[in-house]
Amino acid sequence: MLLVTCPYCGPRPEIEFRCGGEAHIARPAEPSKLSDKEWAEFLFVRTNAKGVFAERWNHAHGCQRWFNALRDTASDRFIQTYKVGEKRPDRTPGQERL
Amino acid sequence: MRRFSLLTLLKEATNAHQGWGRQWRAPEPKVGYDAVIVGGGGHGLATAYYLAKEHGMRNIAVLEKGWIGGGNTGRNTTIIRSNYLYDESAAIYEHALKLWEGLSQELNYNVMYSARGVMMLAHNVHDVQSFKRHVYANRLNGVDNEWLTPEEAKEFCPPLNISKRLRYPVMGAALQRRGGTARHDAVAWGYARGADAMGVDIIQNCEVTGIRRGLSGAVEGVETTRGFIRTPRIGVVAAGHTSVIMEKAGVRMPLESFPLQALVSEPVKPVFPCVVMSNAVHAYISQSDKGELVIGAGTDQYVSYSQQGGIHIATHTLDAICELFPQFTRMRMLRNWGGIVDVTPDRSPIIGKTPVQGLFVNCGWGTGGFKATPGSGHVFAHTIAKGEPHPIAAPFTMDRFRTGRLIDEAAAAAVAH
Amino acid sequence: MLKTSHAAHRDLSLPIEQPVTRPDTKAQVVIRPLPAQARFSLRLNEADLEGAQTAAGVTLDIPINTRSGSAERSSIRLGPNEWLLTGPYDDAEVIASQIDAALSGRFYTLVDVSHRNVGITVSGRRAAEVLNSGCPLDLAEAAFPTGMATRTLMGKAEIVLMRLDDTPTYQVECWRSFSTYVRDYLIEAAREFEPSIA
Repeated sequence: MLLVTCPYCGPRPEIEFRCGGEAHIARPAEPSKLSDKEWAEFLFVRTNAKGVFAERWNHAHGCQRWFNALRDTASDRFIQTYKVGEKRPDRTPGQERL
Repeated sequence: MRRFSLLTLLKEATNAHQGWGRQWRAPEPKVGYDAVIVGGGGHGLATAYYLAKEHGMRNIAVLEKGWIGGGNTGRNTTIIRSNYLYDESAAIYEHALKLWEGLSQELNYNVMYSARGVMMLAHNVHDVQSFKRHVYANRLNGVDNEWLTPEEAKEFCPPLNISKRLRYPVMGAALQRRGGTARHDAVAWGYARGADAMGVDIIQNCEVTGIRRGLSGAVEGVETTRGFIRTPRIGVVAAGHTSVIMEKAGVRMPLESFPLQALVSEPVKPVFPCVVMSNAVHAYISQSDKGELVIGAGTDQYVSYSQQGGIHIATHTLDAICELFPQFTRMRMLRNWGGIVDVTPDRSPIIGKTPVQGLFVNCGWGTGGFKATPGSGHVFAHTIAKGEPHPIAAPFTMDRFRTGRLIDEAAAAAVAH
Repeated sequence: MLKTSHAAHRDLSLPIEQPVTRPDTKAQVVIRPLPAQARFSLRLNEADLEGAQTAAGVTLDIPINTRSGSAERSSIRLGPNEWLLTGPYDDAEVIASQIDAALSGRFYTLVDVSHRNVGITVSGRRAAEVLNSGCPLDLAEAAFPTGMATRTLMGKAEIVLMRLDDTPTYQVECWRSFSTYVRDYLIEAAREFEPSIA
């Protein structure tokens, strides 16, 4: 089980959380102006990165806040978590905060 | 290829089994091939086998970054069934099941396909209605599936607890008698041996590090850890790593890769005659010929390539199994592992062409790829050889996510995803 | 068994049964249901806390996942903008009007959840171990001292867990419909230390 550091509550067990998938996917402001291809891209296509990946988490059985996390998907190690609205930190693997 | 038979077995028995030899070569990669398959799992090897056998393409190679059958082929719970709801799915899984039935003879290799029956338990009114709908839909598609009462289910699988006092009582079950299990490694090995015999190069420890494209955009070859290999056709069959490989050709995929876990118990005498699946409480269980209970757990909630998963996922499944089969509470679990499954938004696979000329992809089998191995390889070989999808594979294009013509097995509710 | 009737009305005090374990000072763990309490769920934006650090006799401006106040009145900060407020059952209307007065002019929501929750205390030397049978949090003194309070899990049920004193005594708050599950879970776990618990 992973330990997830909630920006509000600190390190907590993974079962208190729900993972919300890839972060920083902005909903198009005017969907009707998008082509089918662009809409499919927004709806279905995901980075699915092997390595550093930004994703959304919700502390569902805790403070119930959404936040973002940078995690290395090859090792499952969390690099950093940050609040919604903050910019994705510029970090590469090897700089993990232990 | 030396054919296996009772005669060869007797001959080897008198020779202390010293003469079996290697069943496939370990060739150096050639400068170029007519087609290259990326991924030496069951699906990739089956693709190569049918390309060579049915389409006469023998100057081809299978590139595997580890060892063949070492990914999801060697990590799954070996369940075979074809009772999917939608016509398109039923067609492809039934195509595979028909190939499974004759596969040992076809390959002259015992893949230990055992039609012991796959029973899916219904625990609530919704399950009952949904499973009955599946039974009727399957019959219309010529796929065997039948409805059992709890008592009939108990008769088919005696260890089952059908007490009405359970948290999730058994209200009935859907049974596909032709469903069952096969030996996962043997499937990879059998296809590898058959393909190798027809001249296919199976190159292990050879990781694809890049896909080279020409000025026209068409593929020219693959960069690998063992050098550049020229080829006009690339078939990507890389399961959990599909997004990673496709990204090298500049193609973004509608996929997410999740860890899926399985575990086995200590071996015991035969106690469990069939495969039992319960989607409501999330448990899969069967007994291998070695005697181990083979148990499939769920996927973790996050994208990962780590080939492991959270222990709470496995314990959740064990909780459910102990409730359904109280006699297993005192068994010890031996091994627990994970594989990386590539999941599409509609939980159906993607088989076909890509926007890049010469690049083909077969992926998105999610948690249920093993059962499709022969059918998947068969239709994908056709797609690569002809440059056009096999009729059975035609609905499973990547383009369906643009057109909206989804094959929404995720919403069909009786497949465990 | 705890009563879990949905027919409980504001003017009815909830029927409470005898403690399920003897209130024996030598007991390693004591589990008992709490009497009815007034409870409110308060949502208020963090920015609006300015000038409203206290309300209805309790402090709102406390660190997340802590509890302040007394057995009489307490506030538990569950998140940046969420509090659980408790008080004596008969004070419900008083608390509500005091909150209204303290927060007037601000945007907030106050919901009476008195009947949604059931409280159970778990106390004694082995209390943390009993709770840890179903709760994944680190309950060691350093990580979860008196005054800590948070939403978490007990088995499959969501709970609010707080440490009331150094005995230690913990309070488990769960939703009414989960209460028999949570209670049975705790008793099952407590049997390891107190075999006499029925």
